[in-house]
Amino acid sequence: MRERKTELRIFTIAQWEKEQRYLRKRHREGWKFVRVAMPGIYHFEKCVPEDVVYQLDYNQEGLEQKEEYVQMFQDCGWEYMQDFGGYSYFRKPVSEMKGEEEIFCDDESRRDMMRRVFAGRYVPVIIVLFLLILPNIFSQLQNPGTEGYMPLILFLILFLIYGWALASFGYQYWKLGRRQEK
Amino acid sequence: MDAHIRKVYVPMTETGFYILLCLREESHGYNIIQKVEDLTGGEIRISPGTMYGSLSKMEKDGLIRFVREEEKRKIYCITDLGTQVLELEMRRIERLYRNMTEVR
Repeated sequence: MRERKTELRIFTIAQWEKEQRYLRKRHREGWKFVRVAMPGIYHFEKCVPEDVVYQLDYNQEGLEQKEEYVQMFQDCGWEYMQDFGGYSYFRKPVSEMKGEEEIFCDDESRRDMMRRVFAGRYVPVIIVLFLLILPNIFSQLQNPGTEGYMPLILFLILFLIYGWALASFGYQYWKLGRRQEK
Repeated sequence: MDAHIRKVYVPMTETGFYILLCLREESHGYNIIQKVEDLTGGEIRISPGTMYGSLSKMEKDGLIRFVREEEKRKIYCITDLGTQVLELEMRRIERLYRNMTEVR
């Protein structure tokens, strides 16, 4: 039985680049990514340290036609690992690459992926924020119920989490825009 | 050709141009990737995420159409609209090339 370990690491939906770097770093240290089964819980297996590039794609159409989608990546030498939360995980050792490779080769397609993430993950966040969380905060402020401040505090915590998720996506989009100007 | 197609595809990315150029013959995504690598002497290697995204976007916009599937690979072909866009791009690039050689 191989040595295994589990790590807890939280990435927001917008931080896939950070997540990619984290998995690559672990592999270089001799811990090969096995799977993520619950949000933030990463399983690793001991391995020979190697420089392996990890990449995440977000493509709902790809998930619906998974065989053809995965085949395209396999043809290009990318190993398909799993899907999680709408993201698909791929990896490829640097030793098998000609130069530095990524699953996207131009900023146009990187921006397309951000748009897919936005439509798939952020539109629901915005709807919940504006239709559920904000109205509840206002109504709790105006006439606190018999439960006292508890509901208000809970909704404020939710507001902070959702606000943070939105802000980090905005930051990511802004960063990509700035990279294109250079 | 409607305004949306013009806005998105004229001018188009190098990837988009090569995809349309290759799809004058029926082929699948990985086939196009190999052809483009040959055509450009290894300079341009289209990545799978970019290829998958471009093909599905172009199919949705009617520039290419799905022909059939072979061994889990989808084969596409250019449409009339795609040919129009490609010709528009070719003329633009020819003009670019002419002007470039004149000043050189």
